[in-house]
Amino acid sequence: MKPDRADAIFSALADPTRRQVIRALSQHGPSSATALAADLAVTRQAVAKHLSALAEAGLVTATRRGREKLFQISPRPLTDAVSWMAELGARWDERLAALRDHVAASTRRG
Amino acid sequence: MDVVEREILIAAPPGLVWPALAHADGLSAWFGADARVDLQPGGRGVFRWPDGAERPVVVEDVEPARRLAFRWLPFQRTAGGDVVALPSTRVLITLDEVPGGTRVRVVEQPAFSLGAGAPRAGGRASAMIAS
Repeated sequence: MKPDRADAIFSALADPTRRQVIRALSQHGPSSATALAADLAVTRQAVAKHLSALAEAGLVTATRRGREKLFQISPRPLTDAVSWMAELGARWDERLAALRDHVAASTRRG
Repeated sequence: MDVVEREILIAAPPGLVWPALAHADGLSAWFGADARVDLQPGGRGVFRWPDGAERPVVVEDVEPARRLAFRWLPFQRTAGGDVVALPSTRVLITLDEVPGGTRVRVVEQPAFSLGAGAPRAGGRASAMIAS
């Protein structure tokens, strides 16, 4: 995944209310901003703002059903964010192995 | 997805592992990047990879033979010279004396995890979303 994308995702998820929105969407499935606002006890305007930030990061998508706009989770970016963290972990595996070899070599020399 | 934890056992006491963390040339020997870092709390610096990519850091905590903590700043200069945004993460490296040597433990997590409403250290993706 592109670094900019990872940054957008982590920034979007840095906000506790936005994490609540994601959780509510994962529990209830596609929901309107009005339904989410009622569920989370925040104003509809606040939910709309968070939904637009989440949509910008690619974490939710909106579909129109009649007069209603329904929001749902787009799982791909979350999977991408998990892969990005996995990549960080793999880098540390390499570095720690190199650290072990480096210390072994210096201890032998010393 | 909010935290990376890794550890390794090194067959040497912490006092012999520490020089590889305490100095920029020690770090450069194993990090995979050339470290130009002022290794004291508040110290700044940059890691430069062999392809020319660079990422700045700020050192947050240093306790000799025990702990090194630094924070990657939220951008990187790519090999091609572009500046791209990256999540700012904190790295904590701890050394623990154990039978047989030193356990080196690394925890890396997005810097915002330490803020309000953050998951507990060691939490997982579900905990992060549920918090």
